Amino acid sequence: MANHQLTSLIRMANQIAANNTHIGDENAEAEMVANHLSKFWARSMKAQISEYLNQGGDELTPIARKAIGLMASAG
Amino acid sequence: MLQYFNPKQQDFDKDYGTPASVSENLITLEIDGVCITVPEGTSVMRAAALADINIPKLCASDNLEAFGSCRICAVEIEGRRGTPASCTTPAEAGMKVTTQNPRLGKLRRNIMELYISDHPLDCLTCPANGNCELQDVAGEVGLREVRYGFSGDNHLQAEKDHSNPYFSFDPSKCIVCSRCVRACGEVQGTFALTIDGRGFDSKVSPGQDQPFLDSECVSCGACVQACPTSTLMEKSVIEAGQPEHSVVTTCAYCGVGCQFKAEMKGSEVIRMVPYKGGQANHGHSCVKGRFAFGYATHEDRITKPMIRDSIDQPWQEVSWDEALSFAATKLRGIQEKYGRESIGGITSSRCTNEETYLVQKLIRAAFGNNNTDTCARVCHSPTGYGLKTTLGESAGTQTFDSVMQADAVMVIGANPTDAHPVFGSLLKKRLRQGAKLIVADPRRIDLVKSPHVQTQHHLTLRPGSNVAFINAMAHVIMSEGLEDKAFIAERCDTEAFNAWRNFISEERHSPENTESITGIPAAELRSAARIYANAKNGAIYYGLGVTEHSQGSSMVMGIANLALATGNIGREGVGVNPLRGQNNVQGSCDMGSFPHELPGYQHVADDAVRARFESAWGVTLDNEPGLRIPNMFDAALDGTYKGMYCQGEDIAQSDPNTNHVQAALRSLECLVVQDIFLNETAKYAHVFLPGSSFLEKDGTFTNAERRINRVRKVMPPLAGLQDWEVTQALSNALGYPMNYNHPSEIMDEIAQLTPTFTHVSYERLEKLGSIQWPCNDDAPDGTPTMHEESFPIGKGHFAITEYVATEERSTRKYPLLLTTGRILSQYNVGAQTRRTENQVWHDDDVLELHPQDAEDRGITNGDWVGIASRAGETVMRAKVSDRMQPGVVYTTFHHPHSGANVVTTDNSDWATNCPEYKVTAVQAVKVTEPSDWQQRYRDFNQQQLGHLNKARLNEPRSEESAIAGK
Repeated sequence: MANHQLTSLIRMANQIAANNTHIGDENAEAEMVANHLSKFWARSMKAQISEYLNQGGDELTPIARKAIGLMASAG
Repeated sequence: MLQYFNPKQQDFDKDYGTPASVSENLITLEIDGVCITVPEGTSVMRAAALADINIPKLCASDNLEAFGSCRICAVEIEGRRGTPASCTTPAEAGMKVTTQNPRLGKLRRNIMELYISDHPLDCLTCPANGNCELQDVAGEVGLREVRYGFSGDNHLQAEKDHSNPYFSFDPSKCIVCSRCVRACGEVQGTFALTIDGRGFDSKVSPGQDQPFLDSECVSCGACVQACPTSTLMEKSVIEAGQPEHSVVTTCAYCGVGCQFKAEMKGSEVIRMVPYKGGQANHGHSCVKGRFAFGYATHEDRITKPMIRDSIDQPWQEVSWDEALSFAATKLRGIQEKYGRESIGGITSSRCTNEETYLVQKLIRAAFGNNNTDTCARVCHSPTGYGLKTTLGESAGTQTFDSVMQADAVMVIGANPTDAHPVFGSLLKKRLRQGAKLIVADPRRIDLVKSPHVQTQHHLTLRPGSNVAFINAMAHVIMSEGLEDKAFIAERCDTEAFNAWRNFISEERHSPENTESITGIPAAELRSAARIYANAKNGAIYYGLGVTEHSQGSSMVMGIANLALATGNIGREGVGVNPLRGQNNVQGSCDMGSFPHELPGYQHVADDAVRARFESAWGVTLDNEPGLRIPNMFDAALDGTYKGMYCQGEDIAQSDPNTNHVQAALRSLECLVVQDIFLNETAKYAHVFLPGSSFLEKDGTFTNAERRINRVRKVMPPLAGLQDWEVTQALSNALGYPMNYNHPSEIMDEIAQLTPTFTHVSYERLEKLGSIQWPCNDDAPDGTPTMHEESFPIGKGHFAITEYVATEERSTRKYPLLLTTGRILSQYNVGAQTRRTENQVWHDDDVLELHPQDAEDRGITNGDWVGIASRAGETVMRAKVSDRMQPGVVYTTFHHPHSGANVVTTDNSDWATNCPEYKVTAVQAVKVTEPSDWQQRYRDFNQQQLGHLNKARLNEPRSEESAIAGK
């Protein structure tokens, strides 16, 4: 069975990253995305997306990957 | 703010004859020997009324400009010839006025005699008996005979018009005072009525001498309220007689928050009369608020709690205790099996602040998690995010009255004359006074061109291009040096501004470069930007056409950027004004309905904030945000979210991608629905807790102006409990004690925990009429205009708003863009308005499409059209309309069987997950039968209504259970 939540989370994370890629500083962008995830996502959502990153996170964009890594390490 | 609206100075049950003057210069005159001081410009009639000298009148009313046609109000003024009309004569310093003497008495009697010579003498059987100004004035002037007799030419046999479902028009009783005509024009701004003919032939004519229902009349009822006789009369009064008492309360439809006098006979509402003291509506209303209240006692109301183990089973009516115990056991059982976070709940933007507060408190304290969300998720959540980021507070900045100071008004993605009609009327009034108007909307809404209103620019932007549009507007302002440099320097964060200026100044944002994205001709956009920026006061009003996009939050921030850049913040006449959809969207957000915020937008991760709530509530609170509604659905489909308490929201109809929502609801092990009807969501429920309508409860609603209005119980709850009492009982059943005796106690707790509500209490609401939050030590009487001196975040924050095209775009397979919206006569999912006579105006949702798109597909008006998107397919009737631009189609979602949301997708705003209702790529083709989904819906609906009927048939027929329609 498809994992509905994870599919949505990947899409959401990439979308958040796409809407914060304007500063030209990849680290700052990732930090903004990480803050957003930290502030608005539920515990279970954060855990799932971190787990997905740990497994490779193939469908995540570079900024989303970096942000999720930051979020998890701040954790 | 107009002085005559000041509650401290006015008796709102009294008609002062003419509007108040706003002049600050005071003058003193003498009326019947009494000295009175009034603002310059006040009429003699009003000045007299303020001194309780009540000059007889017929054509005058204080919500209309003086007209001077009936001559009943004639007075004598020392040193002047004749007997001038007191309504049209301004009071002057030193004036000496006589309102009563034998000469004036004779004059008035003669006039009345003429009126009555052509008026039926059926007072005892007339519906207006006991509340007729003509009768009152006849009594006041001492009319004793009609010397002319009644056999001459007259209008006594004039034909009645009963076409409007709510009021009748009986021209035989008309005295041609023009109050209805003037109310339709001056107050409502529709200009549907006129006086047709001259002299004896003069008569009130709707449209081109048409029946009311066929004319342009929008059934706001202002004419009925204005009529001094029974010519225009509510059918409910004709049937039931005059009401015997009234209670002031607040409308439960849109976010304008109109106040009404619910006029009653016992516990039955006879009519709703807009309350002149209502600080949002000043005595005006729309068809929904004034007339569409019959749903409250509709036979479909469910007044007994019901339970069942599975949605394939019939319902079983049970006692409150049994239902609550059943729900609590199920929810606790789910938590034991699947974990603490496996359940959650949804608060309602239709319920009161107190009820919403209690539901989120129950979720956080009794469920022990933050899985709380509200229907604001699907409408204005981007407003909360965007305005908090830029201005520091998740709310609009102005009062509605502020628009009367605006010189240029920009309406973006909102349709005020349909969705916020009373504000729409006020806006049109200002536009008739000369304010300029810019409309940004893919569709030609009524505001674009209506009687005496013509927009300067209708920017027909393509759905999905909002951010490119708002960036282009800002680019023009910055590149042409139209910004307010002093405001920016003094009030805004310099670093953020510099970054934003660099961003927005890039040539790629110019109107010329974005024209291919937005579809707006560059020259027109430039002109619109100049109008807004150069206006002394520029105000922006926006609606769901801004928020319900994949970049809804970016667009809200883009709007705030524009207001900051032009200094249009912090005074009357300007501002950023979200037009809220439902009556208490603002309130439900304020009350901590969102999963990441406690009441007052205080983040759950803030230890100090949480400590205060933990201390007050006696529990430990989770410091992580919970699930939002769309996340709940996804988790439900994955099997990790199993139980839900849903109060007063119909997610099965209102939320996007219906197939997805239905599958999620089916997967729940316990769905508890609290509502007044068995709505679409309740058909998937295991526990039904009967709710109470706004007429059956005490509490408060907060409107789009942040105005907290009192809701007052006018009749007992049909099911015995108000909604807050049900939530309290559920909480107690779950083992978390709640012991409030009255909603005022809940408000006291809210005030204690919410810094922007510190001084709000029922006592102060009674005293002030209403309060606009913030209301605390800094602003003890509330805050009409926000950000006057500083922002809650200190400096205004310019946010960078990169345009990111939505993934939802037209393709060869789905070449059209569907956008959804609302119409005047229906409200949201229609659960209320579909159960009223408003059905006469809109008994089905239709697909509006441009004539070219229709022709290309061989579609004509009234054809069945299949609308397919990647999410699903439904079928509706076609309405070919040049309101649409080619390539864009439109529908409403007021009727469940039309399945508008079967077609909408799960795309959502990047920051808040607010669904992208306004952009769905679709194809439309002519078809001959309903869609598969509609056939499945019909079968499921019939099955569920069968389950309901079985519960009702099995019910013991006690007196207690005797409810309407059974």
